[in-house]
Amino acid sequence: MRRRIDPVALLALPAAAYLLFAYGWPLAALLVRSVHGPGGFSLAPFAAFLSDPFSWRVIGNTLSTAGLTTLVCLAVGYPAALALAWSRGIVQVVLLLSIILPLSVGVVVKAYAWQIVLRRDGIVSQALVGLGLWSEPQRLLFTETGLVIGAANVFLPFMILPIYSVIRLLDPRLRAAAATLGATPLHRFLRVTLPLTLPGIVSGIAFVFSLAVSMYVVPSLVIGDRYQTLATLTGRAFLFMRNEELGSTTAVLLLAMAVSIVVGSTALARRLGSTG
Amino acid sequence: MSSILSGTPNRRALLRGGAAASALLASPAILRAQTRELVVGGAAGHKSWVEEIVVPAFEKAHGAKVIFEGTRSLVNLEKMQKNKDKPYMSVVQMDDPVMILAVKEGLLEPLTAARVPNLAALKPGTVHMDGMWANYLQPWLGIAYNTQAMKAPPTSWADPYDPAYKGRIVLPSIQNTEGLANIFAAAAIATGLSLDAAQKDADAGFRKLATLKPNLLTVYTQQPQAYNLLEQGEAWMISSAMSSYALERKAAGAPIALAAPKEGVFAMPSGIAVVKGAPQADLAFAYVDALLGADMQAKLVGPTFSLPTHTGVAAPAGMPAGMVVHQIDWANVARERGDWLKRWDREMSL
Repeated sequence: MRRRIDPVALLALPAAAYLLFAYGWPLAALLVRSVHGPGGFSLAPFAAFLSDPFSWRVIGNTLSTAGLTTLVCLAVGYPAALALAWSRGIVQVVLLLSIILPLSVGVVVKAYAWQIVLRRDGIVSQALVGLGLWSEPQRLLFTETGLVIGAANVFLPFMILPIYSVIRLLDPRLRAAAATLGATPLHRFLRVTLPLTLPGIVSGIAFVFSLAVSMYVVPSLVIGDRYQTLATLTGRAFLFMRNEELGSTTAVLLLAMAVSIVVGSTALARRLGSTG
Repeated sequence: MSSILSGTPNRRALLRGGAAASALLASPAILRAQTRELVVGGAAGHKSWVEEIVVPAFEKAHGAKVIFEGTRSLVNLEKMQKNKDKPYMSVVQMDDPVMILAVKEGLLEPLTAARVPNLAALKPGTVHMDGMWANYLQPWLGIAYNTQAMKAPPTSWADPYDPAYKGRIVLPSIQNTEGLANIFAAAAIATGLSLDAAQKDADAGFRKLATLKPNLLTVYTQQPQAYNLLEQGEAWMISSAMSSYALERKAAGAPIALAAPKEGVFAMPSGIAVVKGAPQADLAFAYVDALLGADMQAKLVGPTFSLPTHTGVAAPAGMPAGMVVHQIDWANVARERGDWLKRWDREMSL
């Protein structure tokens, strides 16, 4: 029996063609370059990079900032997504706007704004001293904490929106049913809402983590040259050191991290979706 | 045409316009024959003074058109490499360390006294590698400071190490050319050698620099960010700072000033060279000669807050008195920079 191509699949053709040109091709060139030097095929650049303890510090920096940023986004974003989904009318419109609108402000502008907010005499420091939590003004700017705060601000909508879209589809009668059976609000949340929204959480994590692991502008402005990540190291290798070998090595490592997170979480979301 | 401008085009006017446009497009050779074009590659930050001072004077004198492409030195290098067989840029204005790379890759045409007569009038040490490039200006490196936060200006390269300035000092990354001076200044403080002799002892410099870490606010790669911090008082000093940037901000009214430490300052030379196989070669050499000449340098030193390289031109008004200017050994830098950067990453990181 001959299988026919579903004509609906043709709708993906423009996007597929575009991605092939603008993404697939350069990506293939990058992958080839990372293992193919002047002396033929070799994994030596990877071995050299990974045998340097400093590289592991850079990888550690990359993973820890991305991981912490994702956690902060989840902690702040999940309640926000619930509020967004359960609100009605004008409140919902205002909430939605306040999540979408910041996306139109450039990352550079946001990073500069955080530089002002996180200073020693900035509003955060003043507030914490005023509340008696800090004995003297301190700066969060150019620290890892400051970087995570700034990055979480930039990437928060990418956590809220996928979770919101899942919550919105939940049947409200499920919670009502649980309530009539005597479940407490906490119990209803833990046993009904949370499990059903896991697919949204997983895709939010995938979005935010893959964006945060490869961010370049935010760390270069909010923490500076003293804290290298794989992305900033890649940029420097290409733009400044003109070391294409190092640049393609770090870029491929970064890609591998991001892809494994995205593929892993997609698989997880599918499993959770089918059993949930 | 008037109907097009007033916003109500009729069909006939459009046809007329279209016919005129296609006639123009069909005869590019005629247009080109009228004016000779010279493409100059340089730093984006230089665009304003090149286009306001250099280009009008040169175009008037030579009846040519100059197109200045302002970008980063390394991008210029990239452009030269990619178009090596058929260059379209004729002249490049780049940092000296990048010039060394361009020479290594065989991208430059040497300057000769016959084609560039002003070479003979330059200060010693401003023509490099047998005339491959020359310096047309020398911005200098000192310590920029916030005049409201600091009661007295810094007087020594050792001042930023004072524990009183905890978290108030900004350094350039050594991937920025102006950042290299810190290694040499630190080596000079640590060893007691002069700023010239200390350049050979980068190791001492790095050990000294590591003791500056408690005082560091940040290490920048983007100058505007650093000056933003300085002008708003979060940072108190930028060590080392380029005169061409710091004094321009001061002139614009920012509460900052640039101090020349007693050990001396470094010259941060701006180089100019002719691209190998350059189109309009005669014009290219004439452009280089103009920038090396006394007339042009006298006009440029003020607006660029730099020192002249022509022996017949005086330093601009407002330079600190008795300032000793030291040269950086760029060949040494070109050899060692990769290792220095590695060491910097490891020892200066958070």
